[in-house]
Amino acid sequence: MMYLLKIEWLKIKNYKAFLFISLFFLIGIFATNYIVYSVFHNIVNKSDAALLLSNFNPYDFEHVWQTVSYASGYLLMLPSLLLIILVTNEYTFRTSRQNIIDGSSREEYANVKMMMALIVAGTSTLFVVLCALVFAYSSGKDFSITGFSHVGYFFLKALSYNIIAIFISTLIKRTGFAIGIFFIYMGAENIIAQFLDVLSMKLKSSKNIDFGSLGDYLPMNSSDGLLSFPPTPLKSFTTNSLPTEYTWIVLGFAIFYLLLFSWLVRRLIIKKDL
Amino acid sequence: MNVLSINNISKNYGKVTALRNVSFSVPRGSVFGILGPNGSGKTTLLGIIMDVLKATGGTYQLFDENPNNQLRKRIGTLLETPNFYHYLSAVQNLKITAGIKQRGENDIERVLEIVSLTNRKNSIFSNYSLGMKQRLAIAAALLGDPEVLVLDEPTNGLDPVGIAEIRELIRLLASQGKTIIMASHMLDEVEKVCSHVAILKYGELITFGNVDEIFINDDIVEVASSDIEQLKDALKLMPGNLKVEIKGNIVQITFPVGTANLENVNQFCFEKGIVLSQLQIRKKSLESKFMELTN
Repeated sequence: MMYLLKIEWLKIKNYKAFLFISLFFLIGIFATNYIVYSVFHNIVNKSDAALLLSNFNPYDFEHVWQTVSYASGYLLMLPSLLLIILVTNEYTFRTSRQNIIDGSSREEYANVKMMMALIVAGTSTLFVVLCALVFAYSSGKDFSITGFSHVGYFFLKALSYNIIAIFISTLIKRTGFAIGIFFIYMGAENIIAQFLDVLSMKLKSSKNIDFGSLGDYLPMNSSDGLLSFPPTPLKSFTTNSLPTEYTWIVLGFAIFYLLLFSWLVRRLIIKKDL
Repeated sequence: MNVLSINNISKNYGKVTALRNVSFSVPRGSVFGILGPNGSGKTTLLGIIMDVLKATGGTYQLFDENPNNQLRKRIGTLLETPNFYHYLSAVQNLKITAGIKQRGENDIERVLEIVSLTNRKNSIFSNYSLGMKQRLAIAAALLGDPEVLVLDEPTNGLDPVGIAEIRELIRLLASQGKTIIMASHMLDEVEKVCSHVAILKYGELITFGNVDEIFINDDIVEVASSDIEQLKDALKLMPGNLKVEIKGNIVQITFPVGTANLENVNQFCFEKGIVLSQLQIRKKSLESKFMELTN
Protein backbone atom coordinates (compact mmCIF):
# COMPACT_ATOMS: atom_id res chain seq x y z
CA MET A 1 0.00 0.00 0.00
CA MET A 2 2.91 2.35 0.74
CA TYR A 3 4.08 2.41 -2.87
CA LEU A 4 0.55 3.25 -3.99
CA LEU A 5 0.39 6.13 -1.52
CA LYS A 6 3.76 7.34 -2.79
CA ILE A 7 2.29 7.42 -6.30
CA GLU A 8 -0.72 9.43 -5.05
CA TRP A 9 1.74 11.85 -3.47
CA LEU A 10 3.56 12.21 -6.82
CA LYS A 11 0.20 13.07 -8.38
CA ILE A 12 -0.69 15.84 -5.91
CA LYS A 13 2.51 17.37 -4.60
CA ASN A 14 2.90 19.66 -7.60
CA TYR A 15 -0.80 20.30 -8.03
CA LYS A 16 -1.63 23.94 -7.31
CA ALA A 17 -5.29 23.26 -6.41
CA PHE A 18 -4.12 20.81 -3.73
CA LEU A 19 -1.74 23.34 -2.19
CA PHE A 20 -4.27 26.17 -2.44
CA ILE A 21 -7.20 24.28 -0.91
CA SER A 22 -5.06 22.77 1.86
CA LEU A 23 -3.73 26.18 2.81
CA PHE A 24 -7.16 27.76 2.60
CA PHE A 25 -8.57 25.01 4.83
CA LEU A 26 -5.82 25.41 7.44
CA ILE A 27 -6.22 29.19 7.54
CA GLY A 28 -10.01 28.74 7.47
CA ILE A 29 -9.99 26.60 10.61
CA PHE A 30 -8.03 29.18 12.57
CA ALA A 31 -10.04 32.07 11.13
CA THR A 32 -13.44 30.47 11.84
CA ASN A 33 -12.49 29.68 15.40
CA TYR A 34 -11.03 33.12 15.87
CA ILE A 35 -14.35 34.62 14.77
CA VAL A 36 -16.31 32.46 17.25
CA TYR A 37 -13.73 33.29 19.93
CA SER A 38 -14.04 37.00 19.20
CA VAL A 39 -17.82 36.90 19.21
CA PHE A 40 -17.79 35.36 22.67
CA HIS A 41 -15.18 37.67 24.09
CA ASN A 42 -16.21 40.93 22.55
CA ILE A 43 -19.99 40.65 22.13
CA VAL A 44 -21.62 37.88 24.19
CA ASN A 45 -19.56 38.37 27.33
CA LYS A 46 -20.23 42.09 27.25
CA SER A 47 -23.99 41.72 26.85
CA ASP A 48 -26.72 41.11 29.46
CA ALA A 49 -26.59 37.43 28.63
CA ALA A 50 -23.11 37.38 30.09
CA LEU A 51 -24.68 37.09 33.52
CA LEU A 52 -26.38 33.86 32.50
CA LEU A 53 -23.29 32.57 30.81
CA SER A 54 -21.30 33.24 33.96
CA ASN A 55 -17.88 33.54 32.38
CA PHE A 56 -18.46 30.56 30.11
CA ASN A 57 -15.51 30.27 27.72
CA PRO A 58 -15.95 27.71 24.91
CA TYR A 59 -12.20 27.84 24.24
CA ASP A 60 -11.14 26.71 27.71
CA PHE A 61 -9.86 23.19 28.09
CA GLU A 62 -12.77 20.79 28.54
CA HIS A 63 -14.85 22.81 26.06
CA VAL A 64 -12.23 23.55 23.45
CA TRP A 65 -12.23 20.11 21.79
CA GLN A 66 -15.96 20.29 21.27
CA THR A 67 -16.03 23.93 20.20
CA VAL A 68 -13.20 23.68 17.68
CA SER A 69 -14.53 20.37 16.30
CA TYR A 70 -17.99 21.87 15.88
CA ALA A 71 -16.90 25.18 14.34
CA SER A 72 -14.33 23.58 12.04
CA GLY A 73 -16.89 21.05 10.85
CA TYR A 74 -18.43 23.75 8.68
CA LEU A 75 -15.24 23.87 6.62
CA LEU A 76 -15.16 20.17 5.83
CA MET A 77 -16.58 20.78 2.40
CA LEU A 78 -13.11 22.06 1.43
CA PRO A 79 -11.21 18.77 1.78
CA SER A 80 -14.21 17.07 0.15
CA LEU A 81 -13.94 19.52 -2.72
CA LEU A 82 -10.26 18.69 -3.04
CA LEU A 83 -11.02 14.97 -3.19
CA ILE A 84 -13.74 15.52 -5.80
CA ILE A 85 -11.22 17.40 -7.96
CA LEU A 86 -8.53 14.76 -7.50
CA VAL A 87 -10.81 11.80 -8.24
CA THR A 88 -12.61 13.38 -11.21
CA ASN A 89 -9.25 14.54 -12.63
CA GLU A 90 -8.41 10.86 -13.04
CA TYR A 91 -11.48 10.46 -15.26
CA THR A 92 -10.97 13.75 -17.14
CA PHE A 93 -7.34 12.90 -17.91
CA ARG A 94 -8.29 9.21 -18.38
CA THR A 95 -5.46 8.35 -16.03
CA SER A 96 -7.87 6.09 -14.12
CA ARG A 97 -7.63 3.83 -17.19
CA GLN A 98 -3.91 4.34 -17.61
CA ASN A 99 -3.16 3.44 -13.97
CA ILE A 100 -4.94 0.10 -14.47
CA ILE A 101 -3.30 -0.43 -17.89
CA ASP A 102 0.13 0.20 -16.35
CA GLY A 103 -0.44 -2.46 -13.73
CA SER A 104 -2.51 -1.26 -10.78
CA SER A 105 -5.31 -3.65 -9.94
CA ARG A 106 -8.80 -2.21 -9.72
CA GLU A 107 -8.88 -3.20 -6.03
CA GLU A 108 -5.64 -1.29 -5.40
CA TYR A 109 -7.02 1.71 -7.27
CA ALA A 110 -10.21 1.70 -5.16
CA ASN A 111 -8.34 1.09 -1.92
CA VAL A 112 -5.87 3.89 -2.44
CA LYS A 113 -8.68 6.37 -3.11
CA MET A 114 -10.33 5.29 0.14
CA MET A 115 -6.99 5.57 1.88
CA MET A 116 -6.73 9.12 0.55
CA ALA A 117 -10.11 9.88 2.13
CA LEU A 118 -8.75 8.51 5.40
CA ILE A 119 -5.49 10.47 5.21
CA VAL A 120 -7.26 13.72 4.31
CA ALA A 121 -9.69 13.18 7.21
CA GLY A 122 -6.75 12.41 9.52
CA THR A 123 -4.85 15.51 8.44
CA SER A 124 -7.97 17.68 8.83
CA THR A 125 -8.36 16.29 12.36
CA LEU A 126 -4.72 17.06 13.09
CA PHE A 127 -5.35 20.68 12.06
CA VAL A 128 -8.30 20.77 14.47
CA VAL A 129 -6.22 19.40 17.35
CA LEU A 130 -3.50 21.94 16.60
CA CYS A 131 -5.99 24.79 16.48
CA ALA A 132 -7.66 23.65 19.74
CA LEU A 133 -4.30 23.52 21.52
CA VAL A 134 -3.36 27.01 20.34
CA PHE A 135 -6.66 28.53 21.50
CA ALA A 136 -6.86 26.59 24.76
CA TYR A 137 -3.29 27.30 25.83
CA SER A 138 -3.77 30.95 25.11
CA SER A 139 -6.70 30.90 27.59
CA GLY A 140 -4.23 29.91 30.28
CA LYS A 141 -6.01 26.88 31.79
CA ASP A 142 -4.39 23.48 32.43
CA PHE A 143 -4.43 20.81 29.74
CA SER A 144 -7.38 18.45 29.85
CA ILE A 145 -8.44 15.59 27.62
CA THR A 146 -12.09 15.85 28.68
CA GLY A 147 -14.36 16.16 25.66
CA PHE A 148 -11.72 14.81 23.27
CA SER A 149 -14.34 12.36 21.94
CA HIS A 150 -15.63 15.32 19.88
CA VAL A 151 -12.37 15.31 17.95
CA GLY A 152 -13.19 11.69 17.14
CA TYR A 153 -16.66 12.78 15.95
CA PHE A 154 -14.98 15.42 13.79
CA PHE A 155 -12.76 12.74 12.26
CA LEU A 156 -15.84 10.61 11.57
CA LYS A 157 -17.61 13.56 9.97
CA ALA A 158 -14.54 14.37 7.85
CA LEU A 159 -14.28 10.75 6.74
CA SER A 160 -18.02 10.56 5.94
CA TYR A 161 -17.88 13.72 3.85
CA ASN A 162 -14.77 12.49 2.06
CA ILE A 163 -16.19 9.06 1.28
CA ILE A 164 -19.44 10.60 0.00
CA ALA A 165 -17.34 12.99 -2.12
CA ILE A 166 -15.39 10.06 -3.58
CA PHE A 167 -18.61 8.13 -4.22
CA ILE A 168 -20.19 11.06 -6.09
CA SER A 169 -16.96 11.64 -8.05
CA THR A 170 -16.69 7.99 -9.05
CA LEU A 171 -20.32 7.94 -10.08
CA ILE A 172 -20.47 11.28 -11.93
CA LYS A 173 -16.86 11.40 -13.22
CA ARG A 174 -17.05 15.05 -14.33
CA THR A 175 -15.58 17.66 -12.00
CA GLY A 176 -18.17 20.42 -12.38
CA PHE A 177 -21.15 18.11 -12.18
CA ALA A 178 -19.72 16.21 -9.23
CA ILE A 179 -19.09 19.41 -7.25
CA GLY A 180 -22.60 20.62 -8.12
CA ILE A 181 -24.23 17.35 -7.08
CA PHE A 182 -22.22 17.25 -3.85
CA PHE A 183 -23.41 20.68 -2.77
CA ILE A 184 -26.96 20.15 -3.98
CA TYR A 185 -27.10 16.89 -2.06
CA MET A 186 -25.67 18.60 1.00
CA GLY A 187 -28.33 21.32 0.84
CA ALA A 188 -31.13 18.88 0.08
CA GLU A 189 -30.19 16.66 2.99
CA ASN A 190 -30.19 19.63 5.34
CA ILE A 191 -33.68 20.65 4.21
CA ILE A 192 -34.97 17.09 4.61
CA ALA A 193 -33.27 16.90 8.01
CA GLN A 194 -35.07 20.09 9.12
CA PHE A 195 -38.43 18.58 8.17
CA LEU A 196 -37.57 15.35 9.96
CA ASP A 197 -36.49 17.26 13.06
CA VAL A 198 -39.78 19.14 13.13
CA LEU A 199 -41.55 15.80 12.78
CA SER A 200 -39.44 14.42 15.64
CA MET A 201 -40.48 17.31 17.87
CA LYS A 202 -44.14 16.88 16.99
CA LEU A 203 -43.96 13.15 17.74
CA LYS A 204 -42.35 13.85 21.07
CA SER A 205 -44.71 16.58 22.16
CA SER A 206 -47.99 15.15 20.88
CA LYS A 207 -47.56 11.39 21.11
CA ASN A 208 -44.60 11.23 23.48
CA ILE A 209 -42.67 9.13 20.93
CA ASP A 210 -38.97 9.90 21.08
CA PHE A 211 -36.79 8.49 18.28
CA GLY A 212 -34.22 11.24 18.72
CA SER A 213 -33.68 13.77 15.95
CA LEU A 214 -34.70 11.83 12.85
CA GLY A 215 -32.74 14.21 10.65
CA ASP A 216 -29.57 12.93 12.29
CA TYR A 217 -30.08 9.53 10.72
CA LEU A 218 -29.34 10.78 7.17
CA PRO A 219 -25.91 10.11 5.59
CA MET A 220 -24.29 13.52 6.08
CA ASN A 221 -26.35 14.63 9.04
CA SER A 222 -25.57 11.49 11.03
CA SER A 223 -21.98 12.62 11.40
CA ASP A 224 -23.06 16.28 11.62
CA GLY A 225 -25.44 15.40 14.45
CA LEU A 226 -22.62 14.13 16.62
CA LEU A 227 -21.05 17.56 16.68
CA SER A 228 -22.62 20.41 18.57
CA PHE A 229 -21.63 23.57 20.35
CA PRO A 230 -20.77 23.00 24.03
CA PRO A 231 -23.85 23.17 26.27
CA THR A 232 -23.90 26.78 27.42
CA PRO A 233 -26.00 27.76 30.41
CA LEU A 234 -28.42 29.33 27.91
CA LYS A 235 -29.06 26.03 26.18
CA SER A 236 -31.04 24.64 29.11
CA PHE A 237 -33.88 26.93 28.04
CA THR A 238 -34.13 25.41 24.60
CA THR A 239 -33.44 21.71 25.02
CA ASN A 240 -36.71 20.79 26.70
CA SER A 241 -38.70 20.66 23.46
CA LEU A 242 -36.00 18.82 21.49
CA PRO A 243 -35.99 15.04 21.17
CA THR A 244 -33.46 13.14 23.21
CA GLU A 245 -30.04 12.70 21.61
CA TYR A 246 -29.25 9.06 20.88
CA THR A 247 -25.53 9.41 20.35
CA TRP A 248 -24.85 5.72 19.93
CA ILE A 249 -27.59 5.22 17.40
CA VAL A 250 -26.43 8.25 15.40
CA LEU A 251 -22.86 6.95 15.64
CA GLY A 252 -24.06 3.58 14.40
CA PHE A 253 -25.79 5.22 11.44
CA ALA A 254 -22.68 7.27 10.63
CA ILE A 255 -20.52 4.14 10.57
CA PHE A 256 -23.15 2.25 8.57
CA TYR A 257 -23.19 4.98 5.88
CA LEU A 258 -19.41 5.03 5.85
CA LEU A 259 -19.29 1.31 5.14
CA LEU A 260 -22.13 1.55 2.62
CA PHE A 261 -20.48 4.31 0.54
CA SER A 262 -17.08 2.61 0.75
CA TRP A 263 -18.64 -0.58 -0.58
CA LEU A 264 -20.39 1.33 -3.38
CA VAL A 265 -17.14 3.05 -4.41
CA ARG A 266 -15.31 -0.28 -4.54
CA ARG A 267 -18.13 -1.83 -6.50
CA LEU A 268 -18.20 1.02 -9.05
CA ILE A 269 -14.45 0.82 -9.60
CA ILE A 270 -14.12 -2.95 -9.60
CA LYS A 271 -17.19 -3.96 -11.61
CA LYS A 272 -17.72 -1.20 -14.18
CA ASP A 273 -15.93 -0.23 -17.39
CA LEU A 274 -13.44 2.55 -16.76
CA MET B 1 4.38 -19.90 -25.93
CA ASN B 2 1.65 -17.37 -26.55
CA VAL B 3 1.87 -13.89 -25.14
CA LEU B 4 -1.87 -13.51 -25.48
CA SER B 5 -4.67 -16.01 -26.08
CA ILE B 6 -8.19 -14.76 -26.62
CA ASN B 7 -11.05 -17.23 -26.34
CA ASN B 8 -14.55 -16.26 -27.50
CA ILE B 9 -14.42 -12.71 -26.19
CA SER B 10 -17.68 -10.80 -26.60
CA LYS B 11 -18.64 -7.31 -25.55
CA ASN B 12 -22.06 -5.70 -25.67
CA TYR B 13 -22.98 -2.10 -24.95
CA GLY B 14 -26.69 -2.50 -24.35
CA LYS B 15 -28.07 -3.80 -27.64
CA VAL B 16 -24.93 -2.91 -29.58
CA THR B 17 -22.48 -5.74 -30.05
CA ALA B 18 -18.93 -4.39 -30.11
CA LEU B 19 -17.23 -7.79 -30.19
CA ARG B 20 -18.66 -11.19 -31.03
CA ASN B 21 -16.86 -14.41 -30.04
CA VAL B 22 -13.40 -13.26 -31.03
CA SER B 23 -10.64 -15.85 -30.62
CA PHE B 24 -6.99 -15.76 -31.66
CA SER B 25 -3.58 -15.99 -30.13
CA VAL B 26 -0.42 -13.93 -30.37
CA PRO B 27 2.82 -15.92 -30.52
CA ARG B 28 5.86 -14.65 -28.63
CA GLY B 29 8.21 -12.60 -30.79
CA SER B 30 5.62 -11.66 -33.40
CA VAL B 31 4.59 -8.22 -34.55
CA PHE B 32 0.88 -8.76 -34.45
CA GLY B 33 -1.38 -6.29 -36.21
CA ILE B 34 -5.04 -5.97 -35.30
CA LEU B 35 -6.52 -4.45 -38.39
CA GLY B 36 -9.99 -3.17 -39.01
CA PRO B 37 -11.95 -0.14 -40.09
CA ASN B 38 -13.04 2.47 -37.53
CA GLY B 39 -15.54 1.01 -35.08
CA SER B 40 -14.53 -2.58 -35.74
CA GLY B 41 -13.74 -3.24 -32.06
CA LYS B 42 -9.93 -3.05 -32.03
CA THR B 43 -9.65 -0.68 -29.08
CA THR B 44 -12.49 -2.43 -27.24
CA LEU B 45 -10.59 -5.70 -27.54
CA LEU B 46 -7.35 -4.17 -26.25
CA GLY B 47 -9.32 -2.42 -23.48
CA ILE B 48 -10.63 -5.79 -22.31
CA ILE B 49 -7.14 -7.31 -22.36
CA MET B 50 -5.89 -4.39 -20.26
CA ASP B 51 -8.80 -4.73 -17.79
CA VAL B 52 -10.26 -1.27 -18.33
CA LEU B 53 -13.32 -2.82 -19.98
CA LYS B 54 -15.22 -5.87 -18.79
CA ALA B 55 -15.97 -8.55 -21.36
CA THR B 56 -19.58 -9.69 -21.62
CA GLY B 57 -18.34 -13.21 -22.37
CA GLY B 58 -15.20 -15.21 -23.03
CA THR B 59 -11.78 -15.43 -21.43
CA TYR B 60 -8.19 -14.51 -22.19
CA GLN B 61 -4.74 -15.45 -20.96
CA LEU B 62 -1.57 -13.39 -20.72
CA PHE B 63 1.70 -15.32 -20.94
CA ASP B 64 -0.37 -18.52 -20.75
CA GLU B 65 -1.64 -17.52 -17.29
CA ASN B 66 -4.94 -16.17 -16.06
CA PRO B 67 -4.68 -12.38 -16.34
CA ASN B 68 -3.74 -10.25 -13.34
CA ASN B 69 -2.21 -6.84 -12.72
CA GLN B 70 1.30 -8.22 -12.13
CA LEU B 71 1.30 -9.63 -15.66
CA ARG B 72 0.13 -6.27 -17.03
CA LYS B 73 3.24 -4.67 -15.50
CA ARG B 74 5.28 -6.72 -18.00
CA ILE B 75 3.46 -5.04 -20.91
CA GLY B 76 4.00 -1.51 -22.15
CA THR B 77 0.72 -0.14 -23.44
CA LEU B 78 -0.51 2.84 -25.37
CA LEU B 79 -4.28 2.55 -25.59
CA GLU B 80 -6.34 4.94 -27.71
CA THR B 81 -5.10 8.31 -26.42
CA PRO B 82 -2.10 9.55 -24.43
CA ASN B 83 -3.39 9.63 -20.83
CA PHE B 84 -1.32 11.81 -18.52
CA TYR B 85 -1.71 14.32 -15.69
CA HIS B 86 -2.02 17.60 -17.53
CA TYR B 87 -0.38 19.71 -14.83
CA LEU B 88 2.75 17.55 -14.57
CA SER B 89 5.86 17.47 -16.76
CA ALA B 90 6.96 14.52 -18.90
CA VAL B 91 9.43 13.40 -16.25
CA GLN B 92 6.90 13.74 -13.41
CA ASN B 93 4.33 11.78 -15.41
CA LEU B 94 6.82 9.04 -16.24
CA LYS B 95 7.77 8.78 -12.55
CA ILE B 96 4.13 7.89 -11.87
CA THR B 97 4.16 5.27 -14.64
CA ALA B 98 7.42 3.85 -13.28
CA GLY B 99 5.94 3.84 -9.78
CA ILE B 100 2.92 1.83 -10.88
CA LYS B 101 5.03 -0.59 -12.90
CA GLN B 102 7.44 -0.74 -9.97
CA ARG B 103 10.34 -0.46 -12.39
CA GLY B 104 11.86 1.89 -14.90
CA GLU B 105 12.58 5.06 -12.87
CA ASN B 106 16.20 4.92 -14.06
CA ASP B 107 14.96 4.40 -17.58
CA ILE B 108 13.16 7.75 -17.96
CA GLU B 109 16.02 9.61 -19.66
CA ARG B 110 16.56 6.75 -22.14
CA VAL B 111 12.92 6.54 -23.27
CA LEU B 112 12.63 10.33 -23.58
CA GLU B 113 15.72 10.25 -25.77
CA ILE B 114 14.18 7.54 -27.98
CA VAL B 115 11.09 9.65 -28.65
CA SER B 116 13.09 12.90 -28.98
CA LEU B 117 11.50 14.64 -26.00
CA THR B 118 14.62 15.18 -23.91
CA ASN B 119 14.74 18.92 -24.52
CA ARG B 120 11.08 19.30 -23.47
CA LYS B 121 11.15 16.84 -20.58
CA ASN B 122 10.34 19.48 -17.97
CA SER B 123 7.49 21.16 -19.87
CA ILE B 124 4.03 20.42 -18.54
CA PHE B 125 1.96 17.95 -20.51
CA SER B 126 -0.88 20.36 -21.35
CA ASN B 127 1.58 22.52 -23.29
CA TYR B 128 2.57 19.65 -25.59
CA SER B 129 1.42 19.36 -29.19
CA LEU B 130 -0.63 16.33 -30.22
CA GLY B 131 2.44 14.68 -31.71
CA MET B 132 4.50 15.28 -28.55
CA LYS B 133 1.73 13.80 -26.42
CA GLN B 134 1.76 10.72 -28.61
CA ARG B 135 5.55 10.48 -28.32
CA LEU B 136 5.30 10.70 -24.54
CA ALA B 137 2.74 7.89 -24.55
CA ILE B 138 5.15 5.75 -26.58
CA ALA B 139 7.93 6.64 -24.13
CA ALA B 140 5.70 5.52 -21.25
CA ALA B 141 5.02 2.24 -23.03
CA LEU B 142 8.77 1.67 -23.50
CA LEU B 143 9.55 2.43 -19.85
CA GLY B 144 11.28 -0.44 -18.06
CA ASP B 145 12.01 -2.20 -21.37
CA PRO B 146 8.92 -4.46 -21.32
CA GLU B 147 8.96 -7.73 -23.25
CA VAL B 148 5.56 -6.99 -24.82
CA LEU B 149 4.23 -3.76 -26.26
CA VAL B 150 0.58 -3.05 -27.00
CA LEU B 151 0.26 -0.05 -29.29
CA ASP B 152 -3.13 1.23 -30.35
CA GLU B 153 -2.78 3.46 -33.42
CA PRO B 154 0.81 4.36 -32.45
CA THR B 155 1.34 6.86 -35.26
CA ASN B 156 -1.78 8.92 -34.49
CA GLY B 157 -1.06 12.62 -34.60
CA LEU B 158 2.52 12.21 -35.79
CA ASP B 159 4.03 13.99 -38.78
CA PRO B 160 5.51 11.91 -41.64
CA VAL B 161 8.98 11.97 -40.07
CA GLY B 162 7.51 10.87 -36.74
CA ILE B 163 5.56 8.08 -38.44
CA ALA B 164 8.72 6.80 -40.14
CA GLU B 165 10.61 6.98 -36.84
CA ILE B 166 7.99 4.99 -34.98
CA ARG B 167 7.88 2.36 -37.72
CA GLU B 168 11.64 2.07 -37.51
CA LEU B 169 11.40 1.82 -33.72
CA ILE B 170 8.84 -0.98 -34.00
CA ARG B 171 11.09 -2.86 -36.41
CA LEU B 172 14.04 -2.38 -34.08
CA LEU B 173 12.07 -3.63 -31.06
CA ALA B 174 10.84 -6.61 -33.07
CA SER B 175 14.42 -7.43 -34.08
CA GLN B 176 15.28 -7.46 -30.37
CA GLY B 177 12.74 -10.26 -29.92
CA LYS B 178 9.97 -8.20 -28.37
CA THR B 179 6.37 -9.04 -29.05
CA ILE B 180 4.38 -6.13 -30.41
CA ILE B 181 0.61 -6.06 -30.63
CA MET B 182 -0.49 -3.16 -32.76
CA ALA B 183 -3.99 -2.03 -33.60
CA SER B 184 -4.36 0.05 -36.71
CA HIS B 185 -6.69 1.04 -39.49
CA MET B 186 -3.67 2.02 -41.57
CA LEU B 187 -3.12 -0.84 -43.98
CA ASP B 188 0.32 0.12 -45.13
CA GLU B 189 1.41 0.46 -41.52
CA VAL B 190 0.46 -3.15 -40.88
CA GLU B 191 1.93 -4.31 -44.18
CA LYS B 192 5.22 -2.59 -43.46
CA VAL B 193 5.83 -3.76 -39.92
CA CYS B 194 3.64 -6.75 -39.00
CA SER B 195 4.44 -10.44 -39.21
CA HIS B 196 0.95 -11.55 -38.18
CA VAL B 197 -2.46 -9.98 -38.53
CA ALA B 198 -6.01 -10.36 -37.27
CA ILE B 199 -8.75 -8.60 -39.20
CA LEU B 200 -11.85 -7.38 -37.40
CA LYS B 201 -15.04 -6.05 -38.91
CA TYR B 202 -18.14 -5.00 -36.96
CA GLY B 203 -16.72 -6.82 -33.93
CA GLU B 204 -16.20 -10.11 -35.71
CA LEU B 205 -12.92 -11.74 -36.52
CA ILE B 206 -12.73 -12.13 -40.29
CA THR B 207 -9.39 -13.92 -40.36
CA PHE B 208 -6.03 -14.10 -38.62
CA GLY B 209 -2.59 -15.55 -39.25
CA ASN B 210 0.67 -14.81 -41.00
CA VAL B 211 0.60 -11.57 -43.01
CA ASP B 212 2.10 -13.24 -46.10
CA GLU B 213 -0.55 -15.92 -46.04
CA ILE B 214 -3.48 -13.59 -45.53
CA PHE B 215 -2.41 -10.86 -47.90
CA ILE B 216 -1.31 -13.08 -50.76
CA ASN B 217 -0.61 -10.37 -53.30
CA ASP B 218 -1.96 -11.73 -56.58
CA ASP B 219 -0.25 -10.61 -59.77
CA ILE B 220 -2.45 -8.58 -62.05
CA VAL B 221 -1.62 -8.18 -65.73
CA GLU B 222 -3.31 -5.34 -67.58
CA VAL B 223 -3.69 -5.58 -71.36
CA ALA B 224 -5.48 -3.57 -74.03
CA SER B 225 -6.17 -3.84 -77.77
CA SER B 226 -8.43 -2.25 -80.40
CA ASP B 227 -11.27 -4.75 -79.69
CA ILE B 228 -11.58 -5.13 -75.95
CA GLU B 229 -14.39 -7.74 -76.04
CA GLN B 230 -12.48 -9.96 -78.46
CA LEU B 231 -9.41 -9.66 -76.24
CA LYS B 232 -11.38 -10.69 -73.16
CA ASP B 233 -12.90 -13.74 -74.87
CA ALA B 234 -9.50 -14.80 -76.13
CA LEU B 235 -7.82 -14.43 -72.73
CA LYS B 236 -10.49 -16.60 -71.12
CA LEU B 237 -9.04 -19.47 -73.14
CA MET B 238 -5.66 -19.11 -71.46
CA PRO B 239 -4.67 -22.17 -69.42
CA GLY B 240 -4.98 -21.95 -65.61
CA ASN B 241 -8.65 -20.91 -65.29
CA LEU B 242 -7.70 -17.27 -64.67
CA LYS B 243 -9.96 -14.42 -63.64
CA VAL B 244 -10.42 -12.06 -66.61
CA GLU B 245 -12.31 -8.79 -66.25
CA ILE B 246 -12.85 -5.66 -68.32
CA LYS B 247 -11.93 -2.52 -66.35
CA GLY B 248 -12.69 0.50 -68.53
CA ASN B 249 -10.45 0.38 -71.58
CA ILE B 250 -8.30 -2.45 -70.31
CA VAL B 251 -8.60 -6.12 -69.45
CA GLN B 252 -7.25 -7.38 -66.12
CA ILE B 253 -5.97 -10.92 -65.76
CA THR B 254 -5.37 -12.15 -62.19
CA PHE B 255 -2.56 -14.68 -61.82
CA PRO B 256 -1.61 -16.52 -58.62
CA VAL B 257 1.27 -14.74 -56.88
CA GLY B 258 4.57 -15.02 -58.80
CA THR B 259 3.16 -16.80 -61.86
CA ALA B 260 2.47 -13.94 -64.26
CA ASN B 261 4.69 -13.91 -67.33
CA LEU B 262 4.22 -11.04 -69.77
CA GLU B 263 6.00 -12.82 -72.59
CA ASN B 264 3.55 -15.73 -72.39
CA VAL B 265 0.57 -13.36 -72.44
CA ASN B 266 1.92 -11.50 -75.44
CA GLN B 267 2.70 -14.76 -77.26
CA PHE B 268 -0.77 -16.15 -76.52
CA CYS B 269 -2.52 -13.03 -77.86
CA PHE B 270 -0.29 -12.92 -80.94
CA GLU B 271 -1.19 -16.54 -81.70
CA LYS B 272 -4.89 -15.57 -81.45
CA GLY B 273 -4.30 -12.79 -83.97
CA ILE B 274 -4.58 -9.95 -81.47
CA VAL B 275 -2.07 -7.14 -81.36
CA LEU B 276 -1.73 -5.64 -77.88
CA SER B 277 -1.56 -1.90 -77.48
CA GLN B 278 -0.79 -2.16 -73.76
CA LEU B 279 0.82 -4.83 -71.57
CA GLN B 280 1.90 -4.32 -67.95
CA ILE B 281 2.03 -6.12 -64.62
CA ARG B 282 1.13 -4.64 -61.26
CA LYS B 283 0.82 -6.06 -57.75
CA LYS B 284 -2.63 -6.15 -56.28
CA SER B 285 -2.77 -3.48 -53.61
CA LEU B 286 -3.17 -4.42 -49.97
CA GLU B 287 -6.07 -2.01 -49.89
CA SER B 288 -8.04 -3.91 -52.52
CA LYS B 289 -7.23 -7.17 -50.73
CA PHE B 290 -8.45 -5.67 -47.47
CA MET B 291 -11.64 -4.45 -49.13
CA GLU B 292 -12.11 -7.93 -50.54
CA LEU B 293 -11.76 -9.45 -47.07
CA THR B 294 -13.98 -7.00 -45.26
CA ASN B 295 -16.73 -6.57 -47.82
